[in-house]
Amino acid sequence: MGEILVLAESKEGSLEKPTLELIHAAKGIASDLGVGSATLLLGNSITELSNEIAGYGLDKVYKLENSLFKDFIGDVWVAAIEQVCKNLNPDAVLISHSDIGREIAPRLAYRLNSIATTDCISLSVNQDDKTIIKNKPIYGGNAIAVLKSLKQPEIITLRKNCFPLAEASSEKSEIVELPVEISQDVVKVEILERKQVDTVELDKAEVIISGGRGIASDEDFKMLEQLADLIKKAGANAMVGCSRPIVDMGWMSSDHQVGLTGTMVAPGIYLAIGISGAIQHLVGMVRSKKIIAINTDPGCNMLKVADYGLVDDYTEIIPHLIKKMEELS
Amino acid sequence: MSDLKIIVCAKQIPDPEAPFSSVTVDTEKKKVEVDAPDVINPFDENALEAALRIKETMGCHITVVSLGASLSDTVLRKAIAAGANELVLIEDPVFEELDSNSTAYALSKAIEQLGDFDLILTGRQAGDWDAGQVGSVLAEILNIPCITMACGIKVEDGHVIVDKTIPGAIEVVKARMPALVTVSNEVGELRYVSRSKLLAMLRKRIPMKKWKADQLNLAPDLLSQVGLLELLTPPDMRRDCVLIEGSSPEEKAAELAKIIKSLI
Amino acid sequence: MLPYRKLFWKIEHPWIFYLIVISVSFFVIGMCLLYFSVWKKSLKNQNTKLSKKPLGTVFLDIFLHRRLLKDDLAAGLMHLFIFWGFFLLLIITALLSIHEHIHPFLFGKIYIVFSSAGEFAGLLLFIGCLFALIRRYVQKVPRLENTFEDALMPTWLAIIVLSGFVLEGIRISSQPAPWERFSFVGWIFSGFMKGAWTEASYPYLWWAHAIISIGFLATIPFTKMFHLLGAPISIYLQNLPKPVSTTLEEDLTADQEETYDQEEFFEDADEKEHLLPRDLDLATVAFLDACMRCGRCVEACPSNGVGEPYAPRDFVQAMRSLIWQTYSPFGDIRFLKRPNKEMLDRLWYCTTCRACLEVCPIYGPTFQLVLSQRELSIEEGTSVPDLLNQTLERLFKYENPWMSSKKEKLGWIEDDMDIQFISPSKQDYEFCYFVGCTTSVDARARSIAKAFASILQRVGIDFGILGDKEPCCGDIAKRVGETGLFEEKKEQCLTILEKYNIQKIVTSSPHCYYTLNTDYPKEIFEVNHYTQVLHHLVMNNKLDFAKQLNVTVTYHDPCYLGRHSRIFDEPREVIKAIPGVKLVEMAHNRENSLCCGGGGGRMWQGSELTGEERMGERRAREAADTGAEILITACPLCLIMMEDGIKTSRLDKKLKVMDLNEFVLSAMDTATNV
Repeated sequence: MGEILVLAESKEGSLEKPTLELIHAAKGIASDLGVGSATLLLGNSITELSNEIAGYGLDKVYKLENSLFKDFIGDVWVAAIEQVCKNLNPDAVLISHSDIGREIAPRLAYRLNSIATTDCISLSVNQDDKTIIKNKPIYGGNAIAVLKSLKQPEIITLRKNCFPLAEASSEKSEIVELPVEISQDVVKVEILERKQVDTVELDKAEVIISGGRGIASDEDFKMLEQLADLIKKAGANAMVGCSRPIVDMGWMSSDHQVGLTGTMVAPGIYLAIGISGAIQHLVGMVRSKKIIAINTDPGCNMLKVADYGLVDDYTEIIPHLIKKMEELS
Repeated sequence: MSDLKIIVCAKQIPDPEAPFSSVTVDTEKKKVEVDAPDVINPFDENALEAALRIKETMGCHITVVSLGASLSDTVLRKAIAAGANELVLIEDPVFEELDSNSTAYALSKAIEQLGDFDLILTGRQAGDWDAGQVGSVLAEILNIPCITMACGIKVEDGHVIVDKTIPGAIEVVKARMPALVTVSNEVGELRYVSRSKLLAMLRKRIPMKKWKADQLNLAPDLLSQVGLLELLTPPDMRRDCVLIEGSSPEEKAAELAKIIKSLI
Repeated sequence: MLPYRKLFWKIEHPWIFYLIVISVSFFVIGMCLLYFSVWKKSLKNQNTKLSKKPLGTVFLDIFLHRRLLKDDLAAGLMHLFIFWGFFLLLIITALLSIHEHIHPFLFGKIYIVFSSAGEFAGLLLFIGCLFALIRRYVQKVPRLENTFEDALMPTWLAIIVLSGFVLEGIRISSQPAPWERFSFVGWIFSGFMKGAWTEASYPYLWWAHAIISIGFLATIPFTKMFHLLGAPISIYLQNLPKPVSTTLEEDLTADQEETYDQEEFFEDADEKEHLLPRDLDLATVAFLDACMRCGRCVEACPSNGVGEPYAPRDFVQAMRSLIWQTYSPFGDIRFLKRPNKEMLDRLWYCTTCRACLEVCPIYGPTFQLVLSQRELSIEEGTSVPDLLNQTLERLFKYENPWMSSKKEKLGWIEDDMDIQFISPSKQDYEFCYFVGCTTSVDARARSIAKAFASILQRVGIDFGILGDKEPCCGDIAKRVGETGLFEEKKEQCLTILEKYNIQKIVTSSPHCYYTLNTDYPKEIFEVNHYTQVLHHLVMNNKLDFAKQLNVTVTYHDPCYLGRHSRIFDEPREVIKAIPGVKLVEMAHNRENSLCCGGGGGRMWQGSELTGEERMGERRAREAADTGAEILITACPLCLIMMEDGIKTSRLDKKLKVMDLNEFVLSAMDTATNV
């Protein structure tokens, strides 16, 4: 009753990083509102995972175990969480703006006769009327909307890399097993097959070498791969990314795309080569710790948001850079 | 046996691809102004393209539905010029700044009036608010299967078969129609519509219905506005860029290598 | 006895010969009617206005082979022999019939001249055919194809000539006469034709010779021999004065209540496989059938030259085949059919540089054919490449093909420049400097505007610009086939020009220049390219060159300035006027200039169109090979493409590219160094 719930996401038995951001945010909101906080975990054999989550200090961990929760099936998860919310009556449910979040948040909100606000970058509490204030970028990031709603429970999805990570706490959460009635009948969309595609998980990279329209040919992306390999040898998890036009041209698959409709990243180093910096791309990487831009246009947006810049042709710089990196390692 | 009936929900929005210098944020009026013509939401154009590709393989009737406070013929007739069969425009000031659930509700009422359908296609999100909710909520209201993030769509034997993008894989899913699918750009860019086709469309009398809110049997208390408190300009993303200098590309590259090494 | 020859010696029933000639003639004429009917079906509904003007060109090209001899002496000579040999033999045969049936006159000296001419003609034809076979099969000239038809035709003609000489030899040997030595080849052959068997075989040989000769004529409709008829027609039609521009036929104020009929609107929706040609003009369809696959266009094409899978000849042949498949009740009647759907899809490779037209012996404008197909593709919509799709959308939405707003069109102006903006109150200027979309917005091309403005200011020329009101001339829309969008841009542009009462325009880009000069109505304004202004200044000694540059340069003729607008000398004279400058020419120069790859909408397309290398790289190497230190261009697209080309071919240490304005300014400026 009157809690802030966090929907946990995991992959192959380990907790996804954004969940820790959600937990941190939830703690803050809960304390501002004077209510409790809990994590909601759905899965098949999730005892270990629940113990891990319990270490982050929210009040409770609600465990929902069922073979149907093993993989993410939208119809199933929406139905299950709907039940949980109708029983628990939380004030808000925080979900990561991930594939799962995008899928279930709107449907869940509708079923609970409430509203969802997606892709928020910050949360605060209005102490006068105890409502949650959400900041959400709109127009591709050209403006920030500050939103408020009177309906409950609020379903809120949070953009990745916008909140600090929760830290381990000495106070462990209470683990509660929640019963849930769920059957195959709720599934209206049948999964025929899953075709594994070799993808990169850009949001896990520590260094991203990214190419844009300024790259002359798809051959040149091999240079970027070479550079990424060298940096990997030097000890940092480096990957190659790109802006949307590169995917549109078919040079790279969409898992390499950084940006609003691609992957949002915040690595230690973001090396932007030949990317002018359209807003939809910038919002996807502007939180990187250090941004380095190589571009022949001294007035481009990317150079404005960069920490270091070279106004040069990458075809002159990168080969030498590769050589120097080889020498240094 | 009759033609497949597809409904495409298309939103008219200010151009999300407009050059940066044409966008201004008016914090007083709480509005974003774009100095460029309005367009059909690009993801909704992708949805229309998906519908048109289905039409190329089988008999199909495509109705494009658009709802908003102020709609422009010039913008929306493009759908007919591209190959849709019919346009339904629902224009009413009461739709100003509706939240996603209300929009979906209003759309559902409009769709009710259109009779039976097999498939609803819409974009994954709209380029103005980037909320990405209307499609899923509409499916909930209509109580039909909902498939999101499609990158490929086929129709077979009363079912829709969709390639969905999920992290690390493509999921092939199947649902019985009537169903709703939200579409991502991987489905393909909307075929080019020539200016002369568009201009021809503006002159002709096209199959079009124009409705106002009161024709939809809407319960007015079910329409609510977005609770916009304030509109802010984004925090300055600018950093103090240090330009790496050098008398030759080699020198500059060497300097850059040092910096990168120090940051790793 | 007077020299003469008995016709039909030893030939019985000569009427059969005439019967064959007449039936074959009727047959060929019937086939020609089929050709005309196919042509008519693919035409736009318009009347071709005939005129006497092209007759001079037709004469020079057919009888003196002016175009064939140009740039390829060997090929020209070879065909000159064949043509004159064949033509003279035709005349001789005709004269013989006149002599026999109408009025005998081939006696005495006349006969001797006549007979010698016949020998000469036969020899010419034979040598020409031999020459042709050597070029194709021994020298293996790259642009020539090796199909069966290509081997058959010269061989066929050679055999006709040879058999003719053999027959003559036999006749002379059995009826020797002193004047026969003037039939010198036959005379020589007669030395070998001794014996009774020769006379006995004569009639058979004669009929064989007659049949294969007439048979040759019968192949005309079915092979590239159609060019015997088609080439003169094409040369004539292509050189008719072109009708003046170009308003959309559709009446934009048509009945508002006209109902949209989806079936009618999308009538070709099923034909997505290939875009059926229609609405062509007579000159084009004639050219398509007259094409003899000589391959000069392939040799000249810059796209083909860098290994891209496009070839003008193949495009032409594919179009030809498609037209016949579509409109002929018998399908394609040629023996060598060249259907090629893939080539017809490769519409977007062509840069519209006009090199194909420059070299085609029958003035075939293949690039215009590509343009008309592009119009169909644009209307149909699904085969327009995505990047082009987006560029055209941008042109419509933001009024320029780049990702820039109108405000950014002022970005080239530096703070210390005092540029005058044209307004209703500011009307006293010498001309409006029409900067152009690319020059206003692109980082590298902006230097063109900066330099030109500086030069004009130094010389004291009062010019005005439209600034952020400057419209797009619509060139790119026209070159990729979006005529509807082009017409819109044209209207907008004309409205603004009218509003500000602009009568003289100077452009940065040859593309803008060409479009404003050709596709806009005449007599509204006068347009020049900046090279013409610079030339005028140089000729009037208005430019003060402070420095001796001491540099070797080469000049790249932009396609739309050179080939399309025929402005070759002005830029060169400007360059040569600068002290200390040595101008060397590249291997391909003036009307043979090699395209940089930016035209025809390719500046805005992706590298999916690239072949083994890029056009800019090939041109960069050609420039470097001259030993020049600077490559000078006079077009913003060329400037951008050549910068890229020089860099990606790693020639940037050897060669630098400058716009003509930059170069001229550097010579005027005491402060800067080249």
